[in-house]
Amino acid sequence: QFRPSDPPPPRRPLNFAEAHESDEEKQFRRLFNQLAGEDMEVSPGELKDILNKVIGRFSNMKTDGFSIESCRSMVAVMDSDSTGKLGFHEFKYLWGNIKRWQSVYVSHDADRSGVISARELPGAFKSVCAGFPLNEQLYKMIVRRYSDEQENMDFDNFIGCLVRLDAMCRAFKTLDKDNSGSIELDIKEWLQLTMYS
Amino acid sequence: MSGIAAKLQHHRDRAQGFGTASQAQKYLNQDFESLRESCLERGELFQDEYFEALPSSLGYNELGPGSYKVRGITWRRPTELCSKPQFIVENASRTDICQGALGDCWLLAAIASLTLNKQVLSRVVPHDQSFEENYAGIFHFQFWQFGEWVDVVVDDRLPTRDGELLFVHSAEGSEFWSALLEKAYAKVNGCYEALSGGSTTEGFEDFTGGIAERHDLSSADPHLFHIIKKALERGSLLGCSIDITSASDSEAITYRKLVKGHAYSVTGADQVEYRGEAVQLVRIRNPWGQVEWNGAWSDDSSEWRYVSSDDRERLTNRSEDGEFWMSFSDFLRQYSRLEICNLTPDALTGDEYKKWAETEFEDTWRRGSTAGGCRNYPNSFWLNPQFVIKLEEVDDDPGEDQEGCTFIVGLMQKNRRRLRKMGEDMETIGFAIYELPEEYSGLKNVHLKKNFFLSSYATARSETFINLREVCSRFCLPPGEYLIVPSTFEPNKNADFYLRVFSEKNADFQEIDDSVKCHVEQIDIDEDDISNHFKSLFGKLAGQDVEISAFELQRILSRVVMKRSDIKSDGFTLSTCRTMVNLLDKDGSGKLGLVEFRILWAKIDKFLNIYKERDTDQSGCMSAPEMRMAVEAAGFSLNNPLHQLIVARYSQDLHIDFDNFVCCLIRLELLFNTFKALDVDGDGVISLGFYQYLRYTVL
Repeated sequence: QFRPSDPPPPRRPLNFAEAHESDEEKQFRRLFNQLAGEDMEVSPGELKDILNKVIGRFSNMKTDGFSIESCRSMVAVMDSDSTGKLGFHEFKYLWGNIKRWQSVYVSHDADRSGVISARELPGAFKSVCAGFPLNEQLYKMIVRRYSDEQENMDFDNFIGCLVRLDAMCRAFKTLDKDNSGSIELDIKEWLQLTMYS
Repeated sequence: MSGIAAKLQHHRDRAQGFGTASQAQKYLNQDFESLRESCLERGELFQDEYFEALPSSLGYNELGPGSYKVRGITWRRPTELCSKPQFIVENASRTDICQGALGDCWLLAAIASLTLNKQVLSRVVPHDQSFEENYAGIFHFQFWQFGEWVDVVVDDRLPTRDGELLFVHSAEGSEFWSALLEKAYAKVNGCYEALSGGSTTEGFEDFTGGIAERHDLSSADPHLFHIIKKALERGSLLGCSIDITSASDSEAITYRKLVKGHAYSVTGADQVEYRGEAVQLVRIRNPWGQVEWNGAWSDDSSEWRYVSSDDRERLTNRSEDGEFWMSFSDFLRQYSRLEICNLTPDALTGDEYKKWAETEFEDTWRRGSTAGGCRNYPNSFWLNPQFVIKLEEVDDDPGEDQEGCTFIVGLMQKNRRRLRKMGEDMETIGFAIYELPEEYSGLKNVHLKKNFFLSSYATARSETFINLREVCSRFCLPPGEYLIVPSTFEPNKNADFYLRVFSEKNADFQEIDDSVKCHVEQIDIDEDDISNHFKSLFGKLAGQDVEISAFELQRILSRVVMKRSDIKSDGFTLSTCRTMVNLLDKDGSGKLGLVEFRILWAKIDKFLNIYKERDTDQSGCMSAPEMRMAVEAAGFSLNNPLHQLIVARYSQDLHIDFDNFVCCLIRLELLFNTFKALDVDGDGVISLGFYQYLRYTVL
């Protein structure tokens, strides 16, 4: 059984969101408004700028910065209307996850190397926040896909990988409506699901 | 991926009948029965946390928090406003619905018409609720929203000032269904202020799921009388009104006893012989139940003396009940507009009505892929989603010189009212209709290209491109196949739309789109075919292990493209190189050997040729229309949703550079291959367990 993180809440009417904002959320909305510009949506380029600005402030983590490719992929797996951009709710959900996963990263970097080694990886992914019980084979594939030639994963790859995994798990759950443990797809559905990731 | 999954599941649910009138979707997942139950158990009155008794539920600007218009407003339950509130009074056909401090008269007129059709009323306003039995401060209503019926709950706290309802109220002040209905409708649209300004037809449609036409009577359709007669036979809701020229005109009564700026209903149409001439008559009803027309053909007019006694018997009606006849020519002179709401088959259960055949589609326009703009933009117009309707049978009972197939096309943009608060408003939309030449007959999977539109004229089109929620037009065309192309006026506007066709006879209405197929030619290369020059080059690049890893590949390819000035690229990403290795790595080493690398080289060479060839404006990049043709040239046939995703995923500022181009094509081929391998029984559907699914998608 897999256990993805909680899905984003259903979209509530805007006025609900505004009436219930804490100060932190108000601040976040201001940040979003600044970031998203006139169209009120965050493009991969805008996402890259904001993420790199933020991780520049973190010290104990190695990263070569988020690439535009990785940001495109993150936007793609979360975008719900195929505009290629993230709306406020989607961005907020992403932001919350990144904050949580950052502390997982730091606490599982046992040797304080600033990167997550292949050995440290299962522990980090198994930790409560992430909640993906993966098997040996999948860890191998993840390392091959997201780590460098020395099998080390830096912070931007760690986040990129988790954002995708999280979205995939949620996608599976959505399509497995009767909880049968498997999903059926035709070629159109398969391509829509996998091309946009 | 999670977003796309939600969309796919939505389509699956729709296919299973969720959201139809009998299986309304619970708005925001709030279930009326269980919420009422739990309130009753706890002995509390319902408080709706999704639409709270707060200023933000009123509005954002004129009715926004802090505005003088909302000063002194308190939210009260009907039980606090009068001693014996009623939800709905039996036989509440009298439309005593009075407008409050909100410019939503369009909505009220629609609510008023609703009371004339019991069947429709009881669907929108479920009668199983009251202020006595099982009262828990919660009520629910059902609306049609862009093809779906939604069940909406509200609590009964209503905005008041000095003990009076601020918005809709009944004349006696003790009947509350209309005020609660307005609240539920405001909730769906975000807030009360979002309702201000609109057209009655919008309300008509949201209460019936029907399609509404507007007729301007000063330039009426020459067949309008015939249309009215047929509409009445089909149980349509018909409303007419006289325009006002100033606010003080509202409800002013003319010397002929007609009320200006007031919503009347049309209830009958007939023809009599009068002094040897045929005269067309229409019957009209004033919802007040009084104040009737006093001109020709009115209740006591002399005209009735000169018709046959049969006709007189059949048609006259002398009581002061608000209903009266007038000649059709007077009707055209006196009234300004007529609105006809044609109902869907499921809104009419009785056999006495003839029914329309109805088909509908949801689709989207997206910047850079399917938002092609109108015919003024021939380079992109063909990118719009396309639909085809096949008309086979002509109408029964055609009007004069009008033999053909009648159908109504309605194009609606979704959810714009809700976006208004964010400063967005309606896009300008419309559609064009083309006769489909015989060579395309019956083809459902050919998206027509630019050349077709350059050489064809539109047979018909929406009256105009307009920034309304819906454009709707009626057509009568000879049998045949027709292409319908909906679009925004300008290209590259993102919007979601909903397209419906109501036809008098059954008509086959389909979206046409390219089928999803891969016919990429396999490249067969033997080690013997490889030149010595290439072999030695490979030896240098591969190094000691005689294989090329994704990392090495990235360095090699980037060096190659960087040298070229005729194509734009910012170098290959590692993930693209990994996909390439995955596609070609037959022995599972995770690296490419000599033959594998040679095949990749040939592929990239082919991509480069296609890229150069399709870059018609020689910008060094693929624009959206160029990309669509290039994907096809590379051996893929894809549908609209996939073209949209490609642009969303791989383009920057609507252009796709070479590395993204290659990445897209390599991924496509890999994914087609994976599907084929998984579809063991070849039935076109694959079944994936969770781990299996992750294994194929994590890459």
